[in-house]
Amino acid sequence: MTDATTTEISIRPERVRVWDIWVRLFHWLLVASITIVAVTGFLFDASWIALHIVAGLSAVALVVARVIWGFLGPTHARFANFLRRPAVVLSHLTGKESGRYLGHNPAGGVMMLGLMGIVLMLGVTGLAGLGGVLRTGPLLSLPYPVGAAGLEIHEALAVLLLVMILAHIAAAIFESRRSRENLVRSMLSGTKESRPGDHTGHPERARPFIALFLILGLAVTATLLLPNGGRAPVGAPVAELDASFDDECSACHLAYHPSLLTGSEWRALMAGLEDHYGEDASLDPETTARITDWLVAHDAATVQTRPARMFAGTLGTSAVSMTDSRVWNHLHEDVREEIFLRAPVYSKSNCSACHGDAETGWFSPFHIQIPKEPSK
Amino acid sequence: MKYLLILPLCLLAAPLAAQSTTPSDLIANYTAEAGVAASAERGQALFTASHTGGKPDTPSCTTCHGADPRAAGLARTGKPIEPLAPLANPERLTDLKFVEKWFGRNCNSVLGRDCTSAEKADVIAWLSSL
Ligand code: HEC
Ligand code: HEC
Ligand code: HEC
Repeated sequence: MTDATTTEISIRPERVRVWDIWVRLFHWLLVASITIVAVTGFLFDASWIALHIVAGLSAVALVVARVIWGFLGPTHARFANFLRRPAVVLSHLTGKESGRYLGHNPAGGVMMLGLMGIVLMLGVTGLAGLGGVLRTGPLLSLPYPVGAAGLEIHEALAVLLLVMILAHIAAAIFESRRSRENLVRSMLSGTKESRPGDHTGHPERARPFIALFLILGLAVTATLLLPNGGRAPVGAPVAELDASFDDECSACHLAYHPSLLTGSEWRALMAGLEDHYGEDASLDPETTARITDWLVAHDAATVQTRPARMFAGTLGTSAVSMTDSRVWNHLHEDVREEIFLRAPVYSKSNCSACHGDAETGWFSPFHIQIPKEPSK
Repeated sequence: MKYLLILPLCLLAAPLAAQSTTPSDLIANYTAEAGVAASAERGQALFTASHTGGKPDTPSCTTCHGADPRAAGLARTGKPIEPLAPLANPERLTDLKFVEKWFGRNCNSVLGRDCTSAEKADVIAWLSSL
């Protein structure tokens, strides 16, 4: 791995190009997209989902492009340049093997592979959750439990990614100190000081046109495959409300969708309309029977939606209404109490004030918007 | 396209289905049943007073309808209720079945009993005098 130049020591160290412009762009765009995806995912509420998904998909696209560049890019962009046998990684880590790597060192190479792999897995599990739980996107007909499991894994991987990023930053600082060079600056300028004894690796010529062709081909395929193309998901809540139900059950509040509760909860509720949450909401027997049948026929068991999985079964057991159930309050713990009391919301049970799609039974995070208090 | 056909049919059928009536017809009918003349003052008193016989969350008609029937009220769930006074909301007090349904519910919620025909006549007299 040594060549002729490394034996002579130059007075002013020569700087050589290590990171080509695409590797650097990839790196900093990935930093930006992961920052957005982490902030929206960890810190912001569910109404930021659209930005979260856009940033997440951007990160995945960047990694896919980087993988292609890992086979077709110039010397230090290539996997062959920085992925080394486990024995080499081990001896590098234990400090047995000395010598500076101009590109990624063996441990750094493992980190690259890990970071990229986790980002890809986050993309897959995220789309699984989007499909199975929120029932949209390319995987919209995944069974609900698969989507829910996907989301659990997604969350665990996200924490793992954070830990790895911290380790990556720590390693960059540590290596910068140890080898007395600013590695972060190198990732900006693309150059490093050439030193005697550097491991440079086998020089490779980039194949930018083949790479561009492959990346564009994948991008076109993805834009054709990713949108759900108007397919309706399996287990969607009934879209057309029964006329009597819509008339009679929307006078005092929004028409709570039948898919929110179980059939037995609806039966119990409809049997007690004379004393309905402290009010008389009684109806004539025929209308009561008709509405009850319709509610039971479209209850939570007939759908695969997130609110149905969360709220059905909460009434009558541990809570009087959804809004005093544990799960509801957990979901809304970041919404300040006073927001529910002030205009134009006034009440926790006024779901449609913040959930634009409340009457559809979806309660999708894409449609959450807390209304502004009107100025008097 | 279907809606274009259904809409005129609905408009034709609406007056039949809605048992259309007017506030003055309602007053006349309830007064005839009660046998006493309607009084807007008594209606206002009933509407604005706090009662104890009904359900604890709804001591008064104003709990939901507000003190001024010409303005919108607010259900306990945060949903606005259109004004009750016919001058502010011409659709009010034009459907006997609807009026009966809500007197039935609301009187029970607030007073813990049905309203008498005389009380209904009084309230409507007050609402339509505004
Ligand atoms: C007279 C007014 C009135 C009518 C009519 C009415 N409701 Fe309600 N309903 C209420 C009130 C008040 C609450 C309590 C809301 C709260 O908790 O703040 C409520 C709560 C509910 C809840 C529980 C919401 C939750 O947060 O869990 C359901 C479900 C419900 N109503 C269904 C119905 C159905 C079905 C009908 C039609 C048959 C109906 N309501 C008609 C006044 C009414
Ligand atoms: C004041 C506005 C407001 C009201 C009223 C409200 N919500 Fe929400 N809801 C939110 C916000 C904001 C979130 C997102 C919370 C978060 O992610 O931290 C949310 C989240 C949810 C979610 C989870 C959505 C998801 O998939 O992430 C469900 C389900 C839900 N609400 C149901 C209800 C129901 C049912 C009602 C009425 C009984 C209701 N909400 C009333 C603001 C509101
Ligand atoms: C718990 C809330 C509540 C209380 C208390 C209440 N109302 Fe109502 N009232 C309503 C609602 C909701 C409607 C239906 C409004 C609609 O559909 O636009 C209504 C409708 C009515 C109507 C029918 C008007 C029409 O459209 O023809 C009358 C009359 C009425 N109320 C009178 C009263 C009187 C009198 C009292 C006191 C004894 C009272 N209300 C108390 C909620 C209430």
